[in-house]
Amino acid sequence: MSTRDEWAATPMPAVVVPAAIGAELAAEVRARLDSVQYTRYALLDRGSYDEVRTPGEPELLAALAGIAGEVTGRTLVVAEARALRLGPGDYLLVRHDRVYEGRPVELMLELSQVSVPGAELHYRHRGQVFFTIASTPGILALVERGPTVMCNHTYVSKRHRNASVVRLMVLLRDADPRARA
Amino acid sequence: MWRLGSPWEDEAKLADAWRTAVPFPHLVFDDFVAAEQLPELLAILEEEPVDRFDGDIFAFEASAPEPRTEGLRSLRDSFARTLAAPLSRITGKSVRRADMRAYAYRVGHYLLPHADHQEGVGRVLAFAYYLPSPEPPQGGELELFTCLLQSGEIVGTESARLIEPRANRLAVFDVSDVSLHQVREVLGGLRASLAGWFYA
Repeated sequence: MSTRDEWAATPMPAVVVPAAIGAELAAEVRARLDSVQYTRYALLDRGSYDEVRTPGEPELLAALAGIAGEVTGRTLVVAEARALRLGPGDYLLVRHDRVYEGRPVELMLELSQVSVPGAELHYRHRGQVFFTIASTPGILALVERGPTVMCNHTYVSKRHRNASVVRLMVLLRDADPRARA
Repeated sequence: MWRLGSPWEDEAKLADAWRTAVPFPHLVFDDFVAAEQLPELLAILEEEPVDRFDGDIFAFEASAPEPRTEGLRSLRDSFARTLAAPLSRITGKSVRRADMRAYAYRVGHYLLPHADHQEGVGRVLAFAYYLPSPEPPQGGELELFTCLLQSGEIVGTESARLIEPRANRLAVFDVSDVSLHQVREVLGGLRASLAGWFYA
């Protein structure tokens, strides 16, 4: 089954595209994000992580929107993008997420150098996890953000002292909003 | 089983300690259960099954919300009978009943920062009693946070107090929108406890 068929086959569309970015390009993007500088988010009842709110990377984002369009069959444009970096003890809770209107597509591109055991991205439907993305360098995930879908980034164990999970999170909306009407 | 030792005799002093505790009202009692009673307590808990629970803010093993064994039910009820009246006087908050679950935090388990207050649920006071562990935990501290507020919204959080999960220690703390606390990740050993809430 193709990724596009897989996307179309489920009532809660969500797919993974393995090896979507090579290690070398991922390292270059990480370096550029480091130079932009992360800011710390620490309202601990919601999340604990570093973030770059305006990651730039227009070429990469355009390419990602293209991949998302191929998989979903929709013409998508980038509405929001940010980079997250989670170290030991970091997390983003469901209550820090928000509900989206218009069924946008959320894309996650993992830029981490190495995988971190237990550091997962969970998508939930009415609170129940229906899609789990394990930390895997280079992986790309697409999830349709219907009105019942929420997400959280699981706690990164302090046992992994050098853990650094870098995720580029991109919200994609239909180029023509009437396409989903 | 449960006893109120000499620290409980001076309720005025405890009430003062409760009111002035930082970052929010709490009390800590060591040697809470008489040493000769501990084997009986542990024997009761041996019978209570625990299951794994995972959520976005927690990972631990715990007994069911309603105890499955008569032993834990009676332990819970006698705990509430013994403590409800003195805690009501000390905290100025009227409490009558308590729930109680047995918890096992193993390596990698945690409970991330949260406040226990939920509208309509009626939780008034929270408690945690730390059991002797065959392998005392590294980590697993109860961490209390100061919340910085603006127009009633939390706009900042800061660590303010660490309570070690020392065997035979009881911690009681206030439940409110700003009683932010967490159980730090257990990095070694086993953190075993009984915990729950007192209700009006």
